Amino acid sequence: MIDSIGLIFSQQFLTRALFVGVMISLCCALLGVSLVLKRFSMIGDGLSHVGFGAMAIGCAANVAPLYFSLPIVLVSAFLLLRMNEKGKIKGDAAIALISTAALAVGVMVTSVTTGMNVDIYNYMFGSILTMSNDDVVITAIISVVIIALFAIFYDEIFAVTFDESFAQATGTKTSFYNMLIAGLTAVTIVIGMRMMGALLISSLIIFPTVTSMRLCKSFRSVVITSSFVSVICFVVGLILSVEYETPTGASVVCVNIYALALFATVAAVKKRFIKSCLVKISVVTVVIAFALLPFCLSALNQAELIEGKDVSVVTTGFAEYDFAKEIVGDKAEVTMLLSPGEESHTYEPTPADIVKIQQCDVFIYGGGESDKWADKIIETSKENLIVVKMMDVTDVCTIDHAHEQEEEREGDEHIHEEYDEHVWTSPVKAVDIVGAICDAICGADKENADYYREKAEAYIIRLRALDNKFSQLSKTYPNKYIVIGDRFPLRYLMLEYGIEYFAAFPGCSAQVEVNPTTIAELNNMIKQDGVGYVFKVDLSKGDVAESISEATGAQVDTLYSCHVVSAEDMKNGEGYISLMNRNYEAIKRALQY
Amino acid sequence: MSLISCRNVCLSYENNIVVDNLSFNVEAGDYLCIVGENGSGKSTLVKAALGLKETTSGHLHFGEGLKKGEIGYLPQQTTAQKDFPASVFEVVISGCSADKKGIFYSKSHKKLAYENMKKLDIISLEKKCFRELSGGQQQRVLLARALCATKKLILLDEPVTGLDPVVTNELYSIISAINKELGITIVMVSHDLHSAIDNASHILHLNKNAHFFGTVEKYLLSDIYKSFSGGAAND
Repeated sequence: MIDSIGLIFSQQFLTRALFVGVMISLCCALLGVSLVLKRFSMIGDGLSHVGFGAMAIGCAANVAPLYFSLPIVLVSAFLLLRMNEKGKIKGDAAIALISTAALAVGVMVTSVTTGMNVDIYNYMFGSILTMSNDDVVITAIISVVIIALFAIFYDEIFAVTFDESFAQATGTKTSFYNMLIAGLTAVTIVIGMRMMGALLISSLIIFPTVTSMRLCKSFRSVVITSSFVSVICFVVGLILSVEYETPTGASVVCVNIYALALFATVAAVKKRFIKSCLVKISVVTVVIAFALLPFCLSALNQAELIEGKDVSVVTTGFAEYDFAKEIVGDKAEVTMLLSPGEESHTYEPTPADIVKIQQCDVFIYGGGESDKWADKIIETSKENLIVVKMMDVTDVCTIDHAHEQEEEREGDEHIHEEYDEHVWTSPVKAVDIVGAICDAICGADKENADYYREKAEAYIIRLRALDNKFSQLSKTYPNKYIVIGDRFPLRYLMLEYGIEYFAAFPGCSAQVEVNPTTIAELNNMIKQDGVGYVFKVDLSKGDVAESISEATGAQVDTLYSCHVVSAEDMKNGEGYISLMNRNYEAIKRALQY
Repeated sequence: MSLISCRNVCLSYENNIVVDNLSFNVEAGDYLCIVGENGSGKSTLVKAALGLKETTSGHLHFGEGLKKGEIGYLPQQTTAQKDFPASVFEVVISGCSADKKGIFYSKSHKKLAYENMKKLDIISLEKKCFRELSGGQQQRVLLARALCATKKLILLDEPVTGLDPVVTNELYSIISAINKELGITIVMVSHDLHSAIDNASHILHLNKNAHFFGTVEKYLLSDIYKSFSGGAAND
């Protein structure tokens, strides 16, 4: 608990997130009071979806998403307001229309350009890492403007919120204040959504107000209480997310749910025993409960930081983890960031992960699309951190390369070339990687260099044996191919040994939806040639492979990418070589038809 | 010069004419009741008088220095207000919001708010939550707010809807007192023809075919009253 707080103040990116988050929470709470009471809550939700759509387009067009989405969201805010006031389509329907439309456009644009990558995922669910120094400055300026405007126009905002027709009748320019509120909301959402996520940001607007309305009797007290509730919930949520390595946005929302439940309970109790001393008691209870929550939870805390051994190695995926393990034996600590069974392509480091990277001696990662986040962290790490980027130590090929069913479609549509990051799947390349990792570790721990080199050499011999086995395959079974009914991470293995293959997806992350034509072609091929097996990849749901199996009678078998490993294999102490042996056996079986 | 003069006004709602060729005058100190069947355009007329709606044709003119923003208004309650967290004082003083010069309400605004709360006997409710008041108390609070907004004219849109008979009578006497003692002109939309006749000085009866405007005495003799109130008019 205390560690987490210390962490927040010692790590620049966390301090930034704290600052931006507190300011955003404050603004959201202020604007939320008016939006909720005016029955405009869903405008916030609608705008965040528009924000997502705009960010997706901005990403695709390579424009800074913030500057691109801000005007779009602002315009939509005014549009929504107008539709609400005098449109033919009534309020809630208008908002639902705009928000789903924006989401659909965003997903369409994403799928035909970059694919569902980490950036897009971040915009949906938020990322604590996205706050740059510029963002801090922008947030500071905009928050001050929002808070000042709210303070200056407080009485007018009350009048317009409480009774718009009265305010208008007595000469208040209600449409100006409505536009002001909608505009400020748009700005707040665009800034806040990158941290909280497009799908969660509107909770910051709605929750604090609804929460404080349980107990507060006047507008002023609702404004003040919801500001406090909002900021406290954010800070507690952030601390919890650091402590338990959970996504920040979702953590903050969960704390908000907790606060709402608490206030509602107190309100219910208060209703039964209306006594003023009880009000005080209940307020004290709220404060204490807030304060105790993180402490209660921290008793269950299991997060640990690296300590003990002199040299520490941190890796993202399983293959490099296993290589490093084989090299260092018991002389150094090796930590893998991806937990067993975790989805690798949308992985985002938690604050604790980032600290692990910043504090370790050697950091090993792939360097592909799914590791984009790593570059940012490496920049802010200690100077003597030795980094091994696997894609840099061996030859790489692009995903568009070679023969897929998708070939023609992919060729002209891909805007940027994407390199396949699964370099370790070829045992030959694995030898290069092991060499590089060995050099890096020897550099970090010169005393034990001889020991490491010896271990590495022994391991390379085992890799060569694996290499030998695979080379026999294409000689023994010429002109045969395998069918992969899944995402396809094993391109390097196939290319290395000249094994023909046909896959339902070109790569691992690019495509969200499978192309039905491709599946039909695969089905025909299997039936024609009497292929006995169709592959799924370890840890995938395998629904595409299942459907092919159903249509053709081919058996479903599993290939292992070694990117992430299942919890069970991890427990059984499986390694790269044993998993690759499984691949060998499976491919051998499949080639016999 | 009249406070409100309305000449040959035509009002329409989504291209349907609801009020056609209407003329009437409101003089300072009058108590005008607007009656008529549902859909005869009463609320539309109120909106036009408040400047919330444009007239399709004709002239709706404010005189004697009455500006658009100087009308106190007691609207029909919206559902939004039913759960709105606001103290009585906050609601009352919001009547001054259009008159505000600086960032905050001035001392004179606060004084005005307290005076009006005293006049309506709601000073003891000052810190109470608006949504927790009874219907009658809520209407008094809204009247106090209307008084903060004007010194000349208050427009009331169906103020007694949903109130029980005792509270209704109380509210009518308060409105009469405001009219007589404070000299504030009252324009009230009402369903309640009998109390309109009892309290008002003038009646405006909106009707699809012919409108009536005149004093209560004249109204009681008019054909439109007789046909509208049916047998009840004979007693």
